[in-house]
This record gives sequence, structure tokens and C-alpha cells, in this order.
Amino acid sequence: MSAKVIDRNRVLFSWAMLTPFLLLFAIFVVYPLIQSAFLAANQTFGPGTRTFVGTKNFQLLLADPVFWKSIGNTFIYALGSLFIQLPLAFALALALNSSKLRGKGIYRLIFFSPQLMGLVFVSILGALAFEKRAGLVNQAIAFITRNEKFLEIDWLQQHVMATLILISLWLYVGFNMIYFLAALQSVDKSLMEAAEIDGAGPLGKLRHVIYPSVKPVATFVILLSMIGSLQLFELPYILLESSGGPDNRGLTIVMYLYQNGFDLGDLGYASAIGWVLALILIALALVQIKMTRAQEVNA
Amino acid sequence: MHRLTNTILALRALSSGVWVIACLLILSTLLILVRKPSDQGDLQFWVYSPEHAKMYVPMIERYEQSNDVKLDITIMSNAAIQSRMMSGFFGGLPTADLIEVEKAVAPQAFMGPIEAIGFTDLTDMLVQEGLLEQFNQPSLNPWSVDGRVFGLPHDVHPVMLAYRADITEAAGIDLTQAETWDEYFAMLRPLMADTDDDGKPDHTPLSFWYTNQDLIETLMLQGDGQLFTSSGQPTIHTERNAHLLATLVSWCLGPQPVAVDINEWSAAGHKAKVDAVAIGYIAPDWMCSIWKMHVPGLTGKLKLMPLPAFEPGGRRTSVRGGTMLSIPKTTEHFDRAWEYAKLLYTSPQVARELYREVDIISPVKSLWNDPVYDEPDPFFMNQRKGRMYIELAPNIPLRPSSPYNKQAAIDVRDAMGRLAKYAKEQELYEPEQLMPKARELLETMQRQTERRMERNAFAQEDLAPISEDSQ
Repeated sequence: MSAKVIDRNRVLFSWAMLTPFLLLFAIFVVYPLIQSAFLAANQTFGPGTRTFVGTKNFQLLLADPVFWKSIGNTFIYALGSLFIQLPLAFALALALNSSKLRGKGIYRLIFFSPQLMGLVFVSILGALAFEKRAGLVNQAIAFITRNEKFLEIDWLQQHVMATLILISLWLYVGFNMIYFLAALQSVDKSLMEAAEIDGAGPLGKLRHVIYPSVKPVATFVILLSMIGSLQLFELPYILLESSGGPDNRGLTIVMYLYQNGFDLGDLGYASAIGWVLALILIALALVQIKMTRAQEVNA
Repeated sequence: MHRLTNTILALRALSSGVWVIACLLILSTLLILVRKPSDQGDLQFWVYSPEHAKMYVPMIERYEQSNDVKLDITIMSNAAIQSRMMSGFFGGLPTADLIEVEKAVAPQAFMGPIEAIGFTDLTDMLVQEGLLEQFNQPSLNPWSVDGRVFGLPHDVHPVMLAYRADITEAAGIDLTQAETWDEYFAMLRPLMADTDDDGKPDHTPLSFWYTNQDLIETLMLQGDGQLFTSSGQPTIHTERNAHLLATLVSWCLGPQPVAVDINEWSAAGHKAKVDAVAIGYIAPDWMCSIWKMHVPGLTGKLKLMPLPAFEPGGRRTSVRGGTMLSIPKTTEHFDRAWEYAKLLYTSPQVARELYREVDIISPVKSLWNDPVYDEPDPFFMNQRKGRMYIELAPNIPLRPSSPYNKQAAIDVRDAMGRLAKYAKEQELYEPEQLMPKARELLETMQRQTERRMERNAFAQEDLAPISEDSQ
């Protein structure tokens, strides 16, 4: 068999292997993407209605205070994830990576278990824990401070974003911890020993050995966490019963998309919101690619 | 031969995980191939309530014995019905032949021009067969658009006040004499004393809070508050709505509030009910069965009475929740679906079961003579509560089917939250003092709804300027 024929067979075989994926990708990703771009230039009002509006949806969106509120809320949540959730996950991973700690497996299971229960279940438990008066959180605060006034804190009415961030801590800290733990376990032991011989303390080792080693994983986890945060939907949807909470205090971008598309029947406006979100996510991904390349160059 | 050896070696190098996945793939494929397709009925019926399905099954089985037809009932959550139904309507795809739709979901199906609605217009059929007059007229309202009826009402859901008669009667208070809310609160003042010195009143007259959207809507409807006209025009910024908003907020605040926040669904809320933290509870008919199931400790302690009115001679009831039975346009078996719809929604047997099982009264007026509604209910101190609810049924307020109603109701709840915040900051607790701010907030909400509607090229006609009369 000539080399040419073998090459052609290989190409054919490759395409044959790729075709099922490409078909599914075209049907479930490419086509909806094109359709949503088309929809973003249209307005709908329930089934059987559609009218071309050009860029009007995007113009309206920029002047829509509720949309900006949803952007603000989503970024507050994302920042909460970035500055509270990830450092906490890293700290837990450090603690669980310690050779002195016993029963690591149990702790890992405990911290990871909310992921096993699933988001809906955790959300419902979270709603019960943050309930006014009888909720575990208020009961605990009142017990510790010996002040019954704290029983009246209405978390899901007055402190919606704080509640969402706290519940998501419970849900995602263990999940992110696993990534950090894996990264920590791959830190070169000889480097750690060399640092110790050179007289580096715990902080010195963290800064000069551990941090550079886990940096690529940390960048990945940050990006993953930011993307997940910007797509936040299920948690507030369950906790706030699809309304966005009082004064839209818990309304996220995707919830606003859902409200417009499914409650108000305007798939065009919802698609426009979707495209704005996609642009934000693309921008974030580009930043991450740039950061990764810079790291590779520095290395 | 060489190639075969290489392939075998390559396969041997695969990890055990790959083999497990491969085995699962082969096994699941085989299972799917050998599985016998389930015996599908001629018609499909989507129901969100297992209790409803349970009541329908014997009736359907009996019907199918004498008719060559089979109806499959599928129970699924409200959210699942909503998404599957709307996806079908948007995509022009078949859904089910019959769908039970809950009140919160229906307006989404009523969006757009009347001819684009995915349900069959049943008006002519109802008129021809003399059924339209048989239904309690206000119960048809949420399922109608521009006077055309798109679903059969499952229920009426009138609202009464359930109160802790064990406590009021022991204190010598006859609440049935209270005609208005003011009289009701005044009569219960003696029970608000703090005899146990825990810094809280022993009892508060009413379970209500300015953040509970459902209760706000129920009480605003009772007080003739309107968010939309029958033609879909927003009427949020009205003097009546401002008055109701200010009144309801004033109940929750001040040195001695007459309303208390009790969760309607949680275990803590149920315990508060048993502990009589509040004396009165807003009670649509369906709530009675919920309490029987989840708060058996209230057995023999509650009594029902018509809601006290906002003003003397005012409305003594309201409405909360609801379900309709609809036939999507895509059905290929309309006649059979229609026969089933009539069988299930006008049958005396189902109506009786509906009341016995879940305390819901039928919207079919001719069935109201059924003795089941006169049976004493031990949970409510042997009151004949069915008859009491039926007496109020014709007076339930009309509800709009506007697709913007859900968002507008959320806006009103938010306005109420802002008014409460203002009241606390300014220490203003009388309705008259709160009226200017209530007007201002409702004006903002009206503009917000108008903005939402203005964005919609299809709803422009609903935005004609609001006349002074409606303000």
C-alpha cells in the first residue's frame, strides 16, 4: 500500500471519528448560536410573534437600569468568590496537605460533600439555615451574642448577596480545595527541602516555592470560578423563587435573561442579554490566555 | 498479522477505566435495543398535582371501559410543565392533548396576539353546550383573554380568615362580629398584652408581612386594588392601590404592630401557628388540607370566618391560586380531549373527591348543592366550611391574565418593602402619613411596567394614556 493511500485512509478515518461530534456540535452549539444572534436582532412576544428591531435590543439594554443592577449583583458575587471563596479553599488545601494532620480523608469528604449532595439540595438547606428567627445561622448568632435581636435578621430579604455568597462558600469551597490540593501535592519535595535548608520559614516557603508551583492551577481555578460566578442562576432562582429578590437585590445576569425570555416572552431581548454575557466571558478568557502566556514566558 | 498484534497490544495497554466505560456503553446500548416500548395511550394528559391525578384515575378507568380510548396521565412539576409546554408552543411542536396549568404559569401562554395563543379557544364550545353559565363567572377570568376562554377552571379558591377560636372564645371574644379589619384588630387588642414579660405580645392578630408577595396580592385583590385593567392597561399608580399599600404596611410596623411574619410553609412557621403567635391566618380553601396534613396540632382549634373588609360593606373574601385544564391547539384528538375535559371538570364525583381529599370547592355552580359541602369538619370545630366557602365564591375578585402581572406584582411587593423602610426611618406608622410616599413609589412602579411594555412592539396598544378616573 502506497504512503499516499495510507495518508488518505488516515484522513478519512479521522473524519469518520470526528463526524459524530461535529454533527452534535453543529446541531446543539453552532445552530443555536446563529439562531440566538438572529434572535437578538428581533423582538418576540410569546409564540408565533417576531419582528425585526435591528440593534434596538442592545440600545435598550444599555439604558435598562435593571440590567445594570443585574450586572452589579453578578460582579459582587464574582468578587465574593474571588476574594473569599478561593483564598478559603487554598487555606483549607494547605491545612489538608499538612503531614501533621490526621484523618485527612474524612476532612476531604466533609468539605467536598456539599458537591455530592447537589446544588438544589444545598440551596434548600441554605434557605432553611438562613431563615428568619428559626434558622440555624440566626440561632447561632443569637446564642453566641446572647442577644435575641439577631433572630430577626432577614437574610433573604435584607442581605441577599451576602447570603448567596455564604451559601456558595459552603457549596464550592470544597470543590476548589480539591484543585489546590492536587496542585500542592505535586509541589517538588526537593524544592521544599532546599528552601528549609536555606532557612525559609512557612511564609517564605509559601511565597517562593508553593505559590509559583500552584500558580497555573490557581489561574485556571480563578477563571473557572469567574465564569461560573457570571453564569450564576440556580442558587438565586431556588432561594428567591425566580423573582430576583426584593428590589432585585439578588438578580443576576442569567436570571434577568430567564425573566425576559420565559416570563415576558421576549426571546430577542433575552438573546441580547446572552450575547453581552458571552462578550464578558470571552474578554475574561482572553485575559486568562494572556496571563497564562505571560507565565510561560516568565518561566 | 503484524497489524493485528499491534492492535491487541494497544488494547491491552488501555486502563481498566476505559474497559468499564466500554462495557457500560455496550450494555446500555443492548438494554435500549431490547427494551419494549411502553404502551402509549391515545391521548396524553400532563398534571402537576399527584392528588389531582389520584382523583382522576378511577373516573378515567371507568370511562375507558365503555369507550375505546386510552388516556395517559403524566405527573410532572409545574416548572417542567411550563418549560415543555412553552417550548412546544414556541417551536410549534406537539405537547400533550390535555394540560393542567397553574395560575402562575398561564399568563406566559397568553402572550402575543390572541390567534397565536397555543391553547384552543373553548368559548364557542362552552356556549354551544351551555357550560359557560354553569361555571362560577369570576373563576373563568384568569383563563380568559379579551373575553375568550382558553381553559376550564379547576377551582374557585375563595379566601377566608382562619382564627384560633380556642383562644378567642376562652377570652370571651366573638370575632364573627368583626366586620372590618379595624374592628378585628380592635377586638383582639386584649390578647396582645405581654403577660409573660418576654418583650413580645402574647399573640398578634394577623399572620401577614409586607414581604409576602402572595398575601399582599390576596389582600390587595380583596381591597379592589388593581394592577391592570381588563384590557391589559397598567393601573398600578392609583389612589386605591396607594391606600392599600399604606394600610398594609401600617399593620406591620409601629409600637404595636397588628401583623407578624410567620412562614407559611416551613416547620418553624407551623410551630408558630401551633403556639398561636398569630390569631388569624389568610386561608384559601386549599390551605385547609395543607394544615390538616402538616399542622395536625391545630385540629379543633381553628374556626373560619369571612375576611374582615377594608371598609364597612366591603368585600369579605379574596382569591389565591388556581388551575385550569387546557387543550393545546396541536392536539390531533380535540373531540376526545374535550370529552375527557368535561368528564373530569364537571363530574360530581370528581368534585366530591376534590373537596373530601384537598378541601377545594368546585367552580361548577350546579354541583354546589352536593351534601358533601355541608359535612361538618372536625379540624375547624365542626364548621360546615364547604358551604361557607361556596357562599363567598361568587364574590371573589377578578384577576387579570396579563403576562406582565407577575412582574408588576413583584414591583408592588418591592414598593411595599421600600415604604416599610421609609416608615421605619421616618417613624411614620399611620396610613394617612404614608400615603404621599406610597403614591410616589407606585408612580415609579407604574413607569417601570410601562417601560417594560413600551419595549414590546406587540403590546403598544395596551399603553394608551391612563384616564384620570382610573387614578
